[in-house]
Parts: sequence; structure tokens; C-alpha cells
Amino acid sequence: MKDLKLVVQRFDPVKDASPKMVEYAVPKREGMTVLDALLYARDYVDHSIGLRFSCRQASCGSCGMKINGRPRLACYTQVEELGGEKVVAQPMDNFAIIKDLVTDLGSFFDKHKAVTPRLVREDGEEQERPTGEYLMTPGELSKVLQFTYCIKCGLCTSSCPTVATDERYPGPQALTQAYRYSADARDQGGAERIAALDNSHGVWRCHFAGSCSYVCPKGVDPALGIQLLKRHVMTGKPPHAKDEASKVWKAPESGR
Amino acid sequence: MSSEGGGKARNRRGLSGWLNPYHYNFERWAYVFQRVTGIAILAYVIGHLGDTSFFVGGPIGTGPSQSSWTFISGIVENSFGHLILVLVVLVVIFHGTNGLRLIASEMGLILGRPASIEYPYKPRSLRLGQRALIWAAIILAVVGAAWAAMILFGGLA
Repeated sequence: MKDLKLVVQRFDPVKDASPKMVEYAVPKREGMTVLDALLYARDYVDHSIGLRFSCRQASCGSCGMKINGRPRLACYTQVEELGGEKVVAQPMDNFAIIKDLVTDLGSFFDKHKAVTPRLVREDGEEQERPTGEYLMTPGELSKVLQFTYCIKCGLCTSSCPTVATDERYPGPQALTQAYRYSADARDQGGAERIAALDNSHGVWRCHFAGSCSYVCPKGVDPALGIQLLKRHVMTGKPPHAKDEASKVWKAPESGR
Repeated sequence: MSSEGGGKARNRRGLSGWLNPYHYNFERWAYVFQRVTGIAILAYVIGHLGDTSFFVGGPIGTGPSQSSWTFISGIVENSFGHLILVLVVLVVIFHGTNGLRLIASEMGLILGRPASIEYPYKPRSLRLGQRALIWAAIILAVVGAAWAAMILFGGLA
């Protein structure tokens, strides 16, 4: 089998003046992913290639990078689906480069935290010492389930044309999580969360290019979440009122 | 590549990030055309305000007269001017129709509802419903521009 031409963008901001593209010949095998190819190059050709990975099964979101011009997970992209001849690996756009393919996700996580990505409840005592469970109906669950699959890989943010020009924009990941928690039947913080995003650098900066949904490896569909969020920002009303949030359900005594 | 401090390099795409839709989806192309046509329409409106101002006696004009009308009409009454007007019709119809699609999307009307997903993932928001409206915008724009061209170049009135 012919070798794969693996081209990697090499750049150490501490030492190098500008990035350079370096080509490696990698023996192909059936089912080979881009991560496999990169690990071969690092293990057998050049130990200094910088890349980040962990689970190798599209669960951790560590190996996001730009592959043949599009943000993808290296572990989730087979060489064959790219034509099998040449693979070009570059760091994700819109994130600062630490070294080679490793980018800094610090501001990405800060923006995620800024939308209060957790259930906000007024019954603090129940949160600290639970006496039961907050129930959701299957219908309530289906409103948020797909948005819970986000692995925070950053591919959506890397693809977003608004993030490319506006540093203060929260980005598709954070906005989708704002909708995910606000639409959760157990949450009571929707009004505050939505009000915080109603500004010129907030949700209205999204112009529905849809690239976030196009590149998402988990089917989260951030573009859908953001458009649904806009409707609530427009009306000023969260998906449900505070007093409509799930009540605590206690299991009946078994009688034993 | 500029430094971001802390031994890191900036890698934000900037203008090329929104101007270049290559490698991305159909909606991304529509996004670029929507923004570019928006700028083009703004430029046209400013120019149009300028020539109207010239004719009606605004700050840069000479006031209503045969000579000022002849001057203004001389700018557009030629093949190049007609071509510009045909392009104006094209971009205005596309921008307006595609804008209606975006408004409907922002109200959550044409995107479908969140639901359970199965591999291979196909985002609901990028499915046929709203995508058909992009095609409608393109077709209407082309038909409108062809109609305008027939009037301006073919003498159809």
C-alpha cells in the first residue's frame, strides 16, 4: 500500500518566526485515522511534533484540529474518507497556538463558564441535602438531550465566522449550553442567563452560517440551539417560568 | 503570526474567516453572500442618496434643472450603468428574500425541533426546510435580474 503524505503545520511561538508545513511519509493501513497517522509520525519519525489527544474515541474532545481545511477530530476522521493520499493537519483556527497542533482552549472554557452552565435552583437546601429527585418527562428531556452531547472540543468555535472577528462573542458552544440549561425543565435560572446574552456581542452576533452544526462531531447542532435561544431573547421570556420548574419527587414509602 | 503573550501565537482568522466559505456548508455561502450584498446595497443607497441630493438641490447639487438631470441620467443611461442596475436588482432580491429566511430561522420556525439523534449525525438546522428558502432566494434573484436586463437592454417596458 502506498504511503500516506502527512503534512503537519509546525510552529513553536517561542522559537519560530512563522509556521512551516512539514511532510511525513506514513505507511497506510486499513481503518487508519488521522490521529493514528500523526502518532506514527511522532513515534517513528519526529518526536517533537506537538499534538493533544486522550480517549481516541471521540469522547474527550482533545484532538480537535483543522484537517484538510475543515475542523475535525483527528481520532474520528479516517484517512480514507479524505481520499487516502494526502492529509494536511493544522491547529484549529480562532484559538491561540501553543505549539504545532496544540491550541489554548482557556478562553473557550471561560466563555462556557460565563453562561452559568449548570442547573440554577432556588431551593439551595435541597441542592445541598437532596431529599428526592427532580423529574423530567421524556418530552422535556428531548428538548435538551442532543445539546447535552457537547464534548467541548472547540470545533464549532473554530469554524465560526463571527468568532473569527469578535473576541467578545461567546461562541456557538457557550450559547448552545445557555439554551441547553435554560430549556431544562429542572432549571430556574433561564431569565438571568438569557438577559446576559441580549447585547451587541451576545446572541445577536450569530448570523446563522451553520458551520458550527456542520462540523460538530457529536450531532449537537449548535446553530439550532442558538436560533431557539434567540426566540426567547426576543420575547424576554425563558423557555419556562421559575415556578414551572420540576418539583422534587420523593419515592413513596415501600412499606417494608 | 503575532504573539498573544505567554509563549502563544494568535490564530484568529479575522476577515478571511467570514469572507471565505470554502470547505463549509451551503448556509455558510449564503452567509457570505448576505453580508457582501448588504455592503453592496449600503454602497448603492449612499450613491443613490448622492445623485438624488444632486438633483433636488442638496448640499452637493445645483438644484432641479435640465442640466443636472442630464448629468445624473448620463451616469446610468449607458451599458455599464444598466449592468450596475441589473446587479442591484439581483443583490436586493437575494438579500431581502434570504433575510426573511434568517428572520424565520431566528424565530425558530423552519428549523425543526430538538430530538434524539442517531449516527450518522445530520443537523436538523441544515436540512431541506430552510435550505429550500436559500434556493428560492437565488432563483428569485436570477429571475428578477433577468427581467430587469430585458427591460434595460432589450427595450422591454
